Amino acid sequence: MDQAHIRNFCIIAHIDHGKSTLADRLIERCGAIRGIAQEQMLDSMDIERERGITIKMAAVRLTYVAKDGQSYQLNLIDTPGHVDFTYEVSRALAACEGALLVVDASQGVEAQTIANAGMALNQGLEIIPVINKIDLPHADVERAREEIEMAVAIDATDAIPCSAKSGLGIDDILEAIVHRVPPPAGSPDAPLRALIYDSHFDAYQGAVAYIRVKDGSLKKGDRIQMMSTDSRFEVDSTGHFSPALTVDLGLACGEVGFVTAAMKSIGDAAVGDTITSATNPARMPLPGYREALSMVFCGMYPSDGDQYQELRDAIERLKLNDASLNFAPETSAALGFGFRCGFLGLLHMEIARERLEREFGLDLILTAPSVDYKVTRSDGTEAHISNPTDFPAPHLVNLVEEPIVTATIIVPTEYVGAVMTLCQERRGTYKRTEYPTPQRVILHYVLPLGEILLDFFDKLKSQTRGYASFDYDLAGYQPAELVKVDVLLNGDPVDALSFIVHKLFSYQRGKAMVEQLRKVVPRQQYEVRVQAAIGAKVIAADTIKPFRKNVIAKCYGGDITRKRKLLEKQKEGKKRMKQIGSIELPQEAFLSVLKVAE
Amino acid sequence: MCTLDALDPIAVYVHTPFCPTKCGYCDFNSYAMSGGIMARTTAATVAEVSRSPWRGRPAKTIFFGGGTPTFLPIEQLVGLLEAVFRVHPPLPDAEITSEANPGTVDAERFVAMRAAGFNRISLGAQSFLDADLVRLGRVHRSGEIERAVGAARSAGFANVNVDLMFALPGQSLRAWEDNLRRALGLGTEHLSLYGLTLEPNTPFYKEHLRGALILPEDEVQVAMYEAACAVAAAEGLAQYEISNFARPGYECRHNLAYWRGEEYAAYGPGAVGCVAMADEPRVFERYTNLKHPERYCEAIENGDRVAYDRERIDDTIRRIESVMLGLRLNEGFEPKEGSVSRRAAAAMEARGWIEWSGPRMRLTGAGRHFCSEVTAALLP
Repeated sequence: MDQAHIRNFCIIAHIDHGKSTLADRLIERCGAIRGIAQEQMLDSMDIERERGITIKMAAVRLTYVAKDGQSYQLNLIDTPGHVDFTYEVSRALAACEGALLVVDASQGVEAQTIANAGMALNQGLEIIPVINKIDLPHADVERAREEIEMAVAIDATDAIPCSAKSGLGIDDILEAIVHRVPPPAGSPDAPLRALIYDSHFDAYQGAVAYIRVKDGSLKKGDRIQMMSTDSRFEVDSTGHFSPALTVDLGLACGEVGFVTAAMKSIGDAAVGDTITSATNPARMPLPGYREALSMVFCGMYPSDGDQYQELRDAIERLKLNDASLNFAPETSAALGFGFRCGFLGLLHMEIARERLEREFGLDLILTAPSVDYKVTRSDGTEAHISNPTDFPAPHLVNLVEEPIVTATIIVPTEYVGAVMTLCQERRGTYKRTEYPTPQRVILHYVLPLGEILLDFFDKLKSQTRGYASFDYDLAGYQPAELVKVDVLLNGDPVDALSFIVHKLFSYQRGKAMVEQLRKVVPRQQYEVRVQAAIGAKVIAADTIKPFRKNVIAKCYGGDITRKRKLLEKQKEGKKRMKQIGSIELPQEAFLSVLKVAE
Repeated sequence: MCTLDALDPIAVYVHTPFCPTKCGYCDFNSYAMSGGIMARTTAATVAEVSRSPWRGRPAKTIFFGGGTPTFLPIEQLVGLLEAVFRVHPPLPDAEITSEANPGTVDAERFVAMRAAGFNRISLGAQSFLDADLVRLGRVHRSGEIERAVGAARSAGFANVNVDLMFALPGQSLRAWEDNLRRALGLGTEHLSLYGLTLEPNTPFYKEHLRGALILPEDEVQVAMYEAACAVAAAEGLAQYEISNFARPGYECRHNLAYWRGEEYAAYGPGAVGCVAMADEPRVFERYTNLKHPERYCEAIENGDRVAYDRERIDDTIRRIESVMLGLRLNEGFEPKEGSVSRRAAAAMEARGWIEWSGPRMRLTGAGRHFCSEVTAALLP
């Protein structure tokens, strides 16, 4: 297809504003698939469908015959909506010339609307505002239009009202894409430069890179080179998404599609990297490449210590598919051999855990998630510490710095007080307030990443009856008075239960931790003393009384099978417990830290 | 233990599933039904016994349980026993027990039962406090317990057991000790003392989940059990199993067969038997009959099999069960090669929960509170 008839665009929206449904309608209208059997066809992983969110991006090539009678190739690139995947969103945007900014007519502009629109503007994309769900009873198109102009600062006069659900306005959107989104720039004769905006791993073909050809072209047999690593491959196949992967003769300048080249791991097709020709390389890569940055860390251990090797294999295989997952072996005195894993965020962590357990049949123990701290020791040396176990004793610490974020919270006026209280409780620093409309307020805060990691968003939602929306960007480090709280069972510290917390909250969290453990740790044969301590100083303590009896009163001829099975189950349950010295800990114990922040 | 001899004696169990009412703690196969279904079920059970594959094997013990066997019209109860006698001629010293509810017996019935051949009565007394009996959902009242024991004695029963329950909702240690004294005052040869167990699918269990059941603390339950062992021993009733006490020679031989891993044939709705397989005598098969009386009767009447669940009890399972059941007995058991983890056994011994008497392993007094814990630990 000649460049003048190609349009590359994406859809950006706050979660639940109808992005996937709109994509389905556009696909349907262009006849890529007739009779959609499954809603949300761009979301292909089970977990995505179950959670109703988009994790892995996908794309689809549509053929649209516009009202001017000409045929256009429209490439729709889907973007993930969750804040964990911001970098992936930015790469997808970089593959496009235009974006549909979808706003729910009854919800109005939300935090991710602003964050994503801001990113799209930074990439220089043409933004077409779309006001969706106009057929809902509480729809207020004018208010939504006003909010877009005020909060996103773009002209919304030509915002297209639509209902993705009923199909209303879909033709207007397609015409707007053709007439308002510019065709791809780039030179077909320049050396190849193709942006990798996503990838997946296929057991037969290796890494499949999803690319946007910025300059030059690409076909089977071409020798290619990755510009960040200089590794070279020969192209096995190229193709496009319909939305299934469809092999074709080659990708021309401006087109979106995929390339396979016997790349052994997903790391060979790193998101953000530039593919060029090995025989006629470009001089400069496309801008914006960076390695995936882990924000959240936790220990992952097999609950059955014998499964360490299985866990290693599983994580390695997951990594083939998930470039942003980082891991390194670690050992815990309590849990044995496992891995320190880094994730983009908490959702990413949960998805990884779920996939490891579901797809590889593993039973895992996760330690409480932590962020990465910068610690300056008293001898002047510096270290990055993401595992509380490695945190030095109080007298060996000179300075601790914690990662912070700049947060944007959009909330109806009446909840401002509640949100400000919550932010203060989380050690937030107030920055400024904006008033895009009389009903809504945009609050800007600096918050410690560690304080928003666990339940901040849930709390925010519950204290604003679901009306608040939230987005954040990493904003470096700032000093904080942080301490490590150790948990001791019968006097012995259990490394996997330690956590790092601000000094102000240390007593309260220590106490909550002890209470939580008393709830989840079953009675043992001996009394168990549970203590929380900072260094040598105990800040909270309690005891778990020993159990006094465990006996079946009746066991006659008709009871034997059932009682035997009960015992076997009890035995199995014991195996899944972690033996720490003479104490048996259930898996929940290691997630107690999560509960104490509540 | 295992046998090729078709004439080897065997323990025989007969289940009668009917009760006047269903008690709140009971998860046995029992139904508050009466009338035509009783006669029909009795006839079906007689038919099941008559076509038994183990016909001809003498009965060393016979045990009628339920349900409430004494809730059956006496002629049906006697008819059933006669059917068993025809198929399993009792050995001269056979122990022949019927469970009885103090509210469903009288002198006349006991006389008839004794005449028919029963020689042991097991009375479900449970408590001497009427408030407890009401709470448990029992049909009898405490005054009827003594009358029932008296009637059994007059009818010639020289071997009587009384069942009591402890750790009842709201029960104090003192109330339990009173109960124990009154039970011992009856002068029976045998006592079964059961801690209340909350079984799923019972009203008590549901109350417990709702938090509506206030049970004695573990520490109190332990004290209740220890009081029971001490008081019974002082009265000459030696403990021989977790929940069972008897004067010497009056241990329930039928129940001992279960705990020693011997064969038992069983008849009636929901009855569970466990018998060596004909072609593979080292392996037992445990079967469970259809539970609902109507389904059971239909199957018998159509000539279909009534054993709906059949479980192969091979060497491995028998080893596991020998540990689980053997530990319950004060005589202990002789662990077979590989049936217990030696390391765990050493640990349990060090903790003072088990002891050895020659080749036999048994629980200590302290270990008896932790029978399940020890069993789970010992299993390899």
